[in-house]
Amino acid sequence: MARVKSSSGCATAELVSAYLDGELRSGELDIVVEHLSRCGDCIAEFHQLREIRAGLRTLPFLEIPERLLPDSHPGEQLSAYLDGQLSTAEHDFVISHLDFCTDCRLELHELDAARTAVRSLPGLEPPEFLSVQRERIERERWTRRRVVAAGLGVAAAATLVFVTLGPSSDPAGDIDINPFFDQHQARMSVESGINMLPAFAPGPTP
Amino acid sequence: MTEEATPSWEDVARIYGRKIYNFAYRLTGNPDDAADLVQEVLLRVRKGLASYVPGSFDGWLWRITRNAFLDDVRKRNRRPTSPLPEDERNLAIASPSPDEVLASVRLSEDIQSALLKVPLDFRECVVLCDVVGLTYEEIAEAVEAPVGTVRSRIHRGRKMLREMLTWPV
Ligand SMILES: [Zn+2]
Ligand SMILES: [Zn+2]
Repeated sequence: MARVKSSSGCATAELVSAYLDGELRSGELDIVVEHLSRCGDCIAEFHQLREIRAGLRTLPFLEIPERLLPDSHPGEQLSAYLDGQLSTAEHDFVISHLDFCTDCRLELHELDAARTAVRSLPGLEPPEFLSVQRERIERERWTRRRVVAAGLGVAAAATLVFVTLGPSSDPAGDIDINPFFDQHQARMSVESGINMLPAFAPGPTP
Repeated sequence: MTEEATPSWEDVARIYGRKIYNFAYRLTGNPDDAADLVQEVLLRVRKGLASYVPGSFDGWLWRITRNAFLDDVRKRNRRPTSPLPEDERNLAIASPSPDEVLASVRLSEDIQSALLKVPLDFRECVVLCDVVGLTYEEIAEAVEAPVGTVRSRIHRGRKMLREMLTWPV
């Protein structure tokens, strides 16, 4: 493929693109057509430019991301907005959307409230630590009670497992059931004299 | 859309959003930058519509778009990044064979990366002409230059691309 450098040096060479685009001014068309009929360099240039123009014009016309359209609401951008995690353009865009969209203003309000609520929760021990600790306590308790139970001569009762006391059935289970759990178990132990084991508690199978 | 009615911001987004996105994508070669630019442009359009004097809407809109792009380039003070052709790979191109799809994708990737090497003044004119489909006069309004200058930039821009791209005729 011959790569012709522009330059025929012809004065009309620069008109070739405009010719392809139908952008010649009156009077220029005749000049270009006439020139092309006799200048090999400019014909070669014409073909090359037509090719590149066609290539450019067949570039895929991409779909715009839906979130950029006015019918779509910022959605998850709202949370990022509250956390100051948006780019400047996104930030301004969200602000301008909030300007006219009452739905999103309401949603932002709710998100903000939820965010504030979550952030104002007291600091708790991490759940992992909690359960590890509880396991350890239960194991100790178990060992202690077996001794007691054996002493009372009701060792057989140790097979009884109360499944109703698991954390999932406890409405307060997500918070901190330890105080409640301890009291309850202590009371039951005293009342029935039966050694109890909550379903989730580890320990040796009798 | 010219003369009479001033469109609403939502109309502009619906009618022109995709064109603005493609303009931005071809200039930057980066979908995230393109999306940011669309948001910025629509924001400026929203603010600008209040004081918009009916005239050539396209000229007005693309001037805003182009200025937003230039501001962004200045702000980032960096050259546009290389293209992420993912978007194009996902395109359903009018049911050609896989080979044709592949060739077409490769071709458009080649053109895209060549475009990014064309100096900005020329690139923006070529993109406004061949991607957005504006007339020379509209481009002249958008880039605030005489039509003769636009004509020359388009021509030279295409020639630069042709120098960079070699594929079988
Ligand atoms: Zn010639
Ligand atoms: Zn909304």
